[in-house]
Amino acid sequence: MSIEIKNLSFVYGAKSAYEKRALEDVSFTIKDGETLGIIGTTGSGKSTLIQHLNALIRVTNGSIVIDDIDLSQKRINLQLLRSKIGMLFQYPEYQLFEDTVEADVAFGPKNFGYKKEDIDYMVRQAIELVGLDYYEVKDKSPFELSGGQKRRVAIAGIIASRPSILVLDEPTAGLDPIGKREILDLVKRLKDSFVKTIIMISHNMDEIAEYCDHVIVLHEGKLIYDTTPEELFSDKEKLVGTGLSLPHTVNIARLLSEKGVEINESCLDVDSLVNAIEKAVPNE
Amino acid sequence: MSRDITLGQYYPVESFAHKLDPRVKLLLVIVYIVGVFLVDSLYAYIVVGAFLITSIIVSRIPFKSVLKSVKGIIFIVIFTAILNLLFHKEGEVLWSFWIIVITKEGVLFSIKMALRLLLLVLGTTLLTYTTTPMSLTDGMESLLSPLKLVKFPVHDVSIIMSIALRFIPILMEEVDKIMMAQKARGASFDNGNLFKRAKALLPVLIPLFVSAFRRADELALALDARCYNATPNRTRYKKLTLSWRDLVATIAFAVYIVLIVAVNNNFWGLY
Ligand SMILES: Nc1ncnc2c1ncn2[C@@H]1O[C@H](COP(=O)(O)OP(=O)(O)OP(=O)(O)O)[C@@H](O)[C@H]1O
Ligand SMILES: [Mg+2]
Repeated sequence: MSIEIKNLSFVYGAKSAYEKRALEDVSFTIKDGETLGIIGTTGSGKSTLIQHLNALIRVTNGSIVIDDIDLSQKRINLQLLRSKIGMLFQYPEYQLFEDTVEADVAFGPKNFGYKKEDIDYMVRQAIELVGLDYYEVKDKSPFELSGGQKRRVAIAGIIASRPSILVLDEPTAGLDPIGKREILDLVKRLKDSFVKTIIMISHNMDEIAEYCDHVIVLHEGKLIYDTTPEELFSDKEKLVGTGLSLPHTVNIARLLSEKGVEINESCLDVDSLVNAIEKAVPNE
Repeated sequence: MSRDITLGQYYPVESFAHKLDPRVKLLLVIVYIVGVFLVDSLYAYIVVGAFLITSIIVSRIPFKSVLKSVKGIIFIVIFTAILNLLFHKEGEVLWSFWIIVITKEGVLFSIKMALRLLLLVLGTTLLTYTTTPMSLTDGMESLLSPLKLVKFPVHDVSIIMSIALRFIPILMEEVDKIMMAQKARGASFDNGNLFKRAKALLPVLIPLFVSAFRRADELALALDARCYNATPNRTRYKKLTLSWRDLVATIAFAVYIVLIVAVNNNFWGLY
């Protein structure tokens, strides 16, 4: 499913004393099968943008077309749309509520009207996909799990309804480095096997550089870059004034080449950095 | 959504009324309320209305926003008006059908009661519109401080109140977020009968309570960690001080009170 966003603007609390312009004339396209990264400083409108995608915020200005669903239309099939677009919110573990992990994961599929037998299978598959032991956790209360486990259960609750687009709002926020890596690897695994398109908000440039093939930058509600990570991080000047930084690997490569080590690749992850350094400084 | 609740919401503009001392505003509003209850003649209601409109203009809050606060109670107003109309049986009969009797006095009485309710709500809304919850509790604490003499824990009560007030918008935001998250999982909150709807709220209420308890815990820890205790000699960051504005407002109010009392009593038959 491709997503086409045109001239999207949004104002919170329109015509009140608390009026706040959150998005301004944003246009871009997400192709089928992409992993899109959305970056921008706090308050730049990232969450507002993605909440438009499954009509949690209705389009008031501009248009969004997802395949053949036009979100600026007044009447749309919300259930269908929301089952196609899975959305994981910031700190999703705070939205668990059922007695058991199994019931919580089943909440989505049940709402979307799947049959009982199908739901059982979908739930089990989702729990296993996120790397938890189905028989061990299914009857536990979600509240007695660890933070990282809770987040996995929350992710399972989203992917259980088989979305074809998965939207993640800062999926690694508040996790330790190992937990972060595990969640990201999970996202990568999902991408390879289960969902087609991934849209991910992140404040971590390393994650964006490593996992995304398309990136947009929001700044004060405006779209300022719509490009690839290679392009964006190739030129330090581009990020000046946006409050964003370069990924560590890119930074190391830059510093090395300033010192005369010949590195020409963009080095978006550790492996490619290591390769580039080995190429530039051959081992005796 | 939940942000649409206007009752008790601060309206951030700069005005004469916003700058008044909260204690003065509280006292004046109490007097205003007593006034609205005592006033009886329709002419006096006109004076009250005129005074209210003047106050709204002085607070520089758009009329539309003030009127919004009436929306929530319009049903109650109409309902009581109808009841008053039906049950007021004395006086000159205007119209009667079966057991329904409508009298001239009944009409006047229901209009007065409706006006009374509206003026009450509008007046108190104006207070919350022009005063932040924080300064309201500060004002209340200061006004209640004589109660300390009888060992009433005024400060504790006021800190509890201000924490509660502070948490209302936070919890509302939380409700918004949780609702969105559950909607993304296909939950719908506006379908079905009352029972179904109440049940649909469980996925919102449970996480909300969990997080409210978590927040309360964290806050208690934070207060403890900073050695907070409500000792009697705490100094404050914002001291309440009276200014010329408070004097002007009080004088204007005194004039208003004299005026409504006079109008209410037909100027004691002086002319
Ligand atoms: N429900 C709301 N009501 C009013 N204003 C809001 C609301 N939600 C967000 N805003 C405002 O809109 C702007 C954009 O917010 P948004 O949440 O989209 O930012 P963000 O890029 O996701 O930030 P963060 O990185 O902190 O999550 C901010 O200035 C914010 O204060
Ligand atoms: Mg956000």
